[in-house]
Amino acid sequence: MVNARRRNGMIAGALFVVAGGMVGLAFAAVPLYQLFCQVTGYGGTPRIGVPEKPVAATDQTITVRFDANVNSTLPWKFRPAQNEMTVRLGETVLAHFVARNVSAEPIVGTATFNVTPFKAGPYFSKVECFCFTEQSLDPGQEVAMPVSFYVDPEIYADPGTREIRTITLSYTFFRAVRDPRGKGTGAAGTDENLLSTDKGSNSPPFLTH
Amino acid sequence: MSKRLRILAPLIATCAAAGSALAAAPEPWRLGFQAAASPVMERIEELHNLLLVIITGITLFVLGLLVYVALRFNEKSNPVPSTTTHNTVIEVLWTAVPVVILMVMAVPSFKLLYFMDRAQDAEMTIKVIGHQWYWSYEYPDHGDFTFDSFMVPDDELKDGQPRLLAVDNKVVLPINTDIRVLLTSDDVLHAWAVPALITKLDAVPGRINETWMRINREGTYYGQCSELCGVNHGFMPVAVEAVSKEAFRTWVKTAKKEFARADTDVDTNLAQVAETGTGAR
Amino acid sequence: MYMVLAMIGGVVGGAMSWFIRLELAVPGIQFIDDFQFYNVLVTAHGLIMVFFVVMPALIGGFGNWIVPLMIGAPDMAFPRMNNISFWLLAAALILLVTAGLIGGGPGTGWTVYPPLSNAEYHPGPAVDFAILSLHLAGASSVLGAINFITTILNMRAPGMTLHRMPLFVWSILVTAFLLLLAMPVLAGALTMLLTDRNFGTSFFDAAGGGDPILWQHLFWFFGHPEVYIMILPGFGIISQVVSTFSRKPVFGYLGMAYAMVSIGVIGFIVWAHHMYTVGLDVDTRAYFVAATLVIAVPTGIKIFSWIATMWGGSIRFDTPMLWAMGFIFLFVVGGVTGLVLANAGVDTAVHDTYYVVAHFHYVLSLGAVFSIFTAFYYWIGKMSGRRYPEMLGRIHFWITFIGVNILFFPMHFLGLQGMPRRIPDYADAYAGWNMVSSFGALVTALATVLFFFIVYRTFTAGEKVAANPWGEGATTLEWTVESPAPFHTHEEIPDMGGRQPAE
Repeated sequence: MVNARRRNGMIAGALFVVAGGMVGLAFAAVPLYQLFCQVTGYGGTPRIGVPEKPVAATDQTITVRFDANVNSTLPWKFRPAQNEMTVRLGETVLAHFVARNVSAEPIVGTATFNVTPFKAGPYFSKVECFCFTEQSLDPGQEVAMPVSFYVDPEIYADPGTREIRTITLSYTFFRAVRDPRGKGTGAAGTDENLLSTDKGSNSPPFLTH
Repeated sequence: MSKRLRILAPLIATCAAAGSALAAAPEPWRLGFQAAASPVMERIEELHNLLLVIITGITLFVLGLLVYVALRFNEKSNPVPSTTTHNTVIEVLWTAVPVVILMVMAVPSFKLLYFMDRAQDAEMTIKVIGHQWYWSYEYPDHGDFTFDSFMVPDDELKDGQPRLLAVDNKVVLPINTDIRVLLTSDDVLHAWAVPALITKLDAVPGRINETWMRINREGTYYGQCSELCGVNHGFMPVAVEAVSKEAFRTWVKTAKKEFARADTDVDTNLAQVAETGTGAR
Repeated sequence: MYMVLAMIGGVVGGAMSWFIRLELAVPGIQFIDDFQFYNVLVTAHGLIMVFFVVMPALIGGFGNWIVPLMIGAPDMAFPRMNNISFWLLAAALILLVTAGLIGGGPGTGWTVYPPLSNAEYHPGPAVDFAILSLHLAGASSVLGAINFITTILNMRAPGMTLHRMPLFVWSILVTAFLLLLAMPVLAGALTMLLTDRNFGTSFFDAAGGGDPILWQHLFWFFGHPEVYIMILPGFGIISQVVSTFSRKPVFGYLGMAYAMVSIGVIGFIVWAHHMYTVGLDVDTRAYFVAATLVIAVPTGIKIFSWIATMWGGSIRFDTPMLWAMGFIFLFVVGGVTGLVLANAGVDTAVHDTYYVVAHFHYVLSLGAVFSIFTAFYYWIGKMSGRRYPEMLGRIHFWITFIGVNILFFPMHFLGLQGMPRRIPDYADAYAGWNMVSSFGALVTALATVLFFFIVYRTFTAGEKVAANPWGEGATTLEWTVESPAPFHTHEEIPDMGGRQPAE
């Protein structure tokens, strides 16, 4: 019986380890899921970064629509500067969104994004985007937020995505979870010279190139 | 048990005949789907009718077997039990036959699934935003006006408005048009659902979902929020008014004035950004 | 002890469902004018029925009693651990009821989807209490699972090989492995939700870079195996009962055992069929459609093997056998609507409608609960030493069978018509079938009152029963010891070497 009891203990111990391992896996799922989405473009997650080898621009075109949302907890106005664009596949294109802080205090916002149809995700690459970092706006400040991207010509080679004529790129701004009030302006831009700040006035923002 | 048979029989009949009825809202005592008013819904109904025949068949088959063994192999009629515990042929058979039945189901199912997912080159776009507890709609292709749609409370109902389904501002959409539906939420999960048009998709904060629909005939179509979203989850209905293309154009003109955005200064700036900021780098 | 807890849970959870049905009997607001309270009822009904009725009854109650008897072990491997599991569960139930009473209650549905369950939309301690309650219930289940696996792997009588174990023991073994693998995932997800709510993390909050959809993936990775955790012990019970009353060994024993194993394995790879409308990639949905349909194959094997066991048998229709046959039929009805729901296309039409409610009540309320009643009537003689009143048992079966069908079958029609789940009031057109359904609930309630009367009669006026009241069909080891079974059974370890194999 002593022997049986020891074996009982060993089996139970092993099973505890399995249970603990499953808890670990559940937590590991968080980064794994994000990584998985980014790598595969799953769920309309666009790819990020410049193409490994330069993609030749082709004559085929696709329409890209822009969509902007602001969570109601964030007192900003946020709109695409253009409703849609027709772009050539493979060509890196620059588009803008405009955000304005309509409250009386500086606020940090952060944007989430995805593209639809989801299956277009793997073929939609962002080169630069305001959404990569948090953005800070002073009261009344209005900023043009640039995003540059390209659509991989492979999208027309894949039978699953061949029929796509329109891709929608969508952003949602939230109040940043750790909103450091009173932080300086424009500090969070990814590409400072693309950002034009024009505090408190209604004159149109301009671009530096 | 024969009661159940009587329930199932009219169910099949009703589903088969559903195409001819013209319901755009739930009807009392109805057994099947609301009458389909979109090509996707028609196909779903088709597949469902096939599945219904199969599952009714399976259920009756099992019921028949149970009744048979109960009558044939009870204590009185079969006092000495057999000792059979294996029969390879029949075991292979009842594994293989379900597989075949599943294939019969799966093929049209996959066809339907990919048909629904096919991105149509939509002629217009509408954006739906879920809030606690109302919907708001945007028309980005028609001057980007927006409005909110609340349920009409019981004490303000006018004649003919269905209780809990009627709203103050219906979504007006043209018929025979491929419409892209973009969907998001401002707070918690919601789901925008219109049964007769088979549009049901979750609204997820921080993310946009896309589907498409095409409405076959004019009428008002009702639906409800289909994802538990808090206290008034049962009180944020959807009402779609489908009109002719001409009537839609007229409506857009009036709606633009009625629901014009207040922040026009941003619009002016946007126009100028658009001139300088777009195009190739 | 577990049975008493399950009965208390059953009364509480059942009472909640009758409140819901009464509210829904006719259109308009009846007596629940606080819709948060309605949502709390829906949530608590789901959680209590799953965690505090079906699981303790099937696994805690019958599993703990019968498994050691069946494999010829004196007791479970770790009796003290068993005790801890039970008291954890009792504490969890108290916590959950507390959660329902404070701070507005958790009105999130049993799936606790964020963002609705986030601090922003559910401030106050109610959801935290519910989460802690689930933590405790989960810990209790994991401890129980470890105990079962150890007992079954290590404490079988000589000659009782794995392939000679009764199917109920097999079902508990598979269930225990499912618990061991699924529960920790729920615990992990719940912990993340808890820190999201209280410590400013943002695992599921889009504003902080999280994703609410991730919760759904994690939840259903636990949630779908959980469904099988509830139904597999039922499968095991039905196998025993059908074999006993047909006076025949189980047909296709190995097929039955491995059908359960494969149901358990497949159960882990079908979770996203609960999420077809959430906005999943089409290829992903196609995969989950295929995987889900595959489950029908082992399930079909089980159904047909039960019928084949009866085929050629000499069937006695005692109360347990009636319940078992009722189970088989109702489970088929619930199973085939599952086939409909598995198709992502059709599911779009009926997702989150009463069709789904009808489906899972047919497989759980009528599947798992029918198997609990089957087991109660089958084993109560062994557990209490007294016989239940046979005539009342049969009446109980027929009233319940008719009641639940009136209750749940109309829900299919409501669902096809588009009536959403979890709404406290509905459009007037849905009134007819809702009235019918509520009438069915009344019938079922009467049947339940009768059940408690039967329990009372059994313990006060039941005749004493012998070691084996069921005759030659009952071949498993629990029928070789006296009734009621003594605390430490099989003092002399029975040797299975010479006995016929369990098949």
